Amino acid sequence: MKMEDMPLSGPDNTRLEALVHDIYSELVEDACLGLCFEVHRAVKQGCFFLDETDQESMKEFEIVDQPGVDIFGQVYNQWKNKECECPNCKRLIAASRFAPHLEKCLGMGRNSSRIANRRLASNNNMSKSESDQEDNDDLNDNDWSYGAEKKAKKRKSDKNQNSPRRSKSLKLKNGELGSSGSSEPYKYNYNTGINYETLGPDEVRSILSTQCGVISEHTKKMCTRSQRCPQHTDEQRRAVRVFFLGPSAPSLPDADAVVESDSFDIPDGQTLMSRLQWEDSPDISPTDSASSKASTNHSDSRRPKKKKTSLGLNSGGGVGVGVVGVGVVGVGGGGIGGGGMSGGSSSSQSNISLSTKRKRPKLSAPSITSIYDDLN
Amino acid sequence: MSTECRMRATVNQKLTEMGERERLKELLRAKLTECGWEDQIKAHCKEVIKDKGLEHVTVEDLVAEITPIGRALVPDSVKKELFHRIKAFLAQHAT
Repeated sequence: MKMEDMPLSGPDNTRLEALVHDIYSELVEDACLGLCFEVHRAVKQGCFFLDETDQESMKEFEIVDQPGVDIFGQVYNQWKNKECECPNCKRLIAASRFAPHLEKCLGMGRNSSRIANRRLASNNNMSKSESDQEDNDDLNDNDWSYGAEKKAKKRKSDKNQNSPRRSKSLKLKNGELGSSGSSEPYKYNYNTGINYETLGPDEVRSILSTQCGVISEHTKKMCTRSQRCPQHTDEQRRAVRVFFLGPSAPSLPDADAVVESDSFDIPDGQTLMSRLQWEDSPDISPTDSASSKASTNHSDSRRPKKKKTSLGLNSGGGVGVGVVGVGVVGVGGGGIGGGGMSGGSSSSQSNISLSTKRKRPKLSAPSITSIYDDLN
Repeated sequence: MSTECRMRATVNQKLTEMGERERLKELLRAKLTECGWEDQIKAHCKEVIKDKGLEHVTVEDLVAEITPIGRALVPDSVKKELFHRIKAFLAQHAT
């Protein structure tokens, strides 16, 4: 018989309700029966009363339901207002802040070293930028902040008045400060580079001996970074030097002490200028440029050493490959990094290394002076 | 009368065949556990067992004691929901 024949109206409604109720009762009874079977089985197997021990322990761990107290009966913010004295700095710290404070105070723990490093880095950057500005002030007579000036004066007095660097008029942007005192009045804008048109030959030579010097295509100015600056290749540096100092100017001083400039011809000025004005290639890393010249590998190995046994008439510690020619040496030598004169110095060349490292303390290389005197 | 009986039989048959009965059973069990009905019943069971003695309690004893209490303790919300489901089923498949 089909259910579709049954109209759900009037009296059938009650029947329907009764039907629903019956079905429901059946389901509930089923549930109860199931439960009883479970309980009975548990009882007979002896695992029904497992969570009940003796009365005493039951009382002990009874659930507490009082205000201000958790279910174990403990006061939950008991230590909130307590203060502890730090054994390190002797300050009173709130209890909840005590552990992080100790971490920083004692300098142990993961974060404290990170923060300290960051602080050191930012301090270094600050002090370095100030040092740049200070020299610039002297040259351009710009007014800077008083603080920087004060620092500048203090720094200058610190320098050894008799150091060989005194006569140097140059300084590297990322390197050390130049010598105290005399600085030639060349137009130096440390932000963008040197405007080479206004420089005399001597100045050019001295610049080229310490700095990269590659002329940027955009600004037509010489690059003021160190001789190992990653933006320019040694080829570019060599070309610049040839351009300024003539074909007699030797090429980059390699570890092999090979004179490379002999075969270099100066083309037309136009083409040369176009050659010189390379695009900045930021993907040239020092290692790349080093590997491109096999002779520079030698110097690279010395890079990590911080010894100032180098022929340092100027800044730049570390080891790298720089460009120096005899003519430049004659003026006053170039920047030299650690590693000294590898391969010996010939009359036509000297091995000079500069580093791109920025965090170099001042070079004091009185021993190098004698070598330079010989070359001069 | 017999019509009614037959009707009921058909309904039951349909419920079982379509799996609705099982589903309703599961639903009811879940709801009862959720609302704590099961724990209440178990507490009662403990009482009964303590009365009758652990060793000698039988299933029949338990059933006889527990079923009326169980039926009474079902919360109204659960009851209503089940009614709703059954009616929906009937309306869907019986008309």
